[in-house]
Amino acid sequence: MKKIIVSGFITGCILFVFSYGGLYLAVKYFPSLFTEYFNPLFNSDGSRDVLFYMHAFIFSFALSWFWDRFKALFKGVFILRGIEFGLVYSVIALLPVMWISFSALDITVAMVSSWFIYGLIQATVAGMVFAKLNP
Amino acid sequence: MLHRNIVCMAALFVLLTGFVKPRNFMMGNEKKWLISESSSLSVNGTTNINKFACDIPAYDQTDTLTLSRGNKEIILSGDIRLKIQSFDCHNSIMTHDLRKTLKEKEFPRLHIRFLSLSDIPELTIKPAMITGFVDIELAGAAKRFQVNYQVSIDAQKNIHLLGSRDINFSDFNLIPPRKLGGMIKTNDKLSVAFHLKMKALN
Repeated sequence: MKKIIVSGFITGCILFVFSYGGLYLAVKYFPSLFTEYFNPLFNSDGSRDVLFYMHAFIFSFALSWFWDRFKALFKGVFILRGIEFGLVYSVIALLPVMWISFSALDITVAMVSSWFIYGLIQATVAGMVFAKLNP
Repeated sequence: MLHRNIVCMAALFVLLTGFVKPRNFMMGNEKKWLISESSSLSVNGTTNINKFACDIPAYDQTDTLTLSRGNKEIILSGDIRLKIQSFDCHNSIMTHDLRKTLKEKEFPRLHIRFLSLSDIPELTIKPAMITGFVDIELAGAAKRFQVNYQVSIDAQKNIHLLGSRDINFSDFNLIPPRKLGGMIKTNDKLSVAFHLKMKALN
């Protein structure tokens, strides 16, 4: 349990910097990709900002538990284990969620694809960190 | 006796009203301008990723503005009530977002109440630059602003009143839209411009 929490927390910190840093740079250097976010679907008043920034930790603690449970199935060097972990997460969790999001919400293919790729990279990085911290 | 009473009442009427200065006058009378439906309003703003321009391309009512001389100033009275639903940002998603930000469901109209002008406008083809005060009511909050006007008249005797002014979302207790934890945000300042096309009624 301690390993799950510690590796989850460390991974959360790494993902926080990696994810929001990446997002900040993407907004700065590729602003045209983000114009679609001026949409009433997305919260505008800042009331959920704390929840938004907690996502890295919610994500890392959930994946830390999943890793601890199924890590024996991911074999090879830490990079390969991380990539396989990221792909498994993306196929099992991300793909169905993105599918239902696109079918139900007024969002574009580009937007939903970017979320998929963002989640895939996050899970892959998390898998690599877990492979090192909780092999 | 009856004749005498009528004379007395007439004298009393003259005494009571004769010293009261007419409230509004301008060269002896007031001017009325009928606002036409081809009047418009535009709002320009910026975000940290792009610019946006939203407009109300046509005014859906026929109202009048009255120009008269007050004790100390030129009074421009009348108002326009614009439907928030008529805002078009030329992008359906942004249009919906602006309407939501302006609380369209609770406050469906933007209200501009004209109050005064700095000078009697010279109606010529060349625009005259004057200023004036208006009350703008948006999302349930009202604020007084000084507006820069250009007034002119064209060959068809249409009077053009162009008003412009920078306002802030915060002037009306509105929060500029911010998305993704504030990584994408709209700047507080908005540039508002309106163009009233009018016909003189007298």
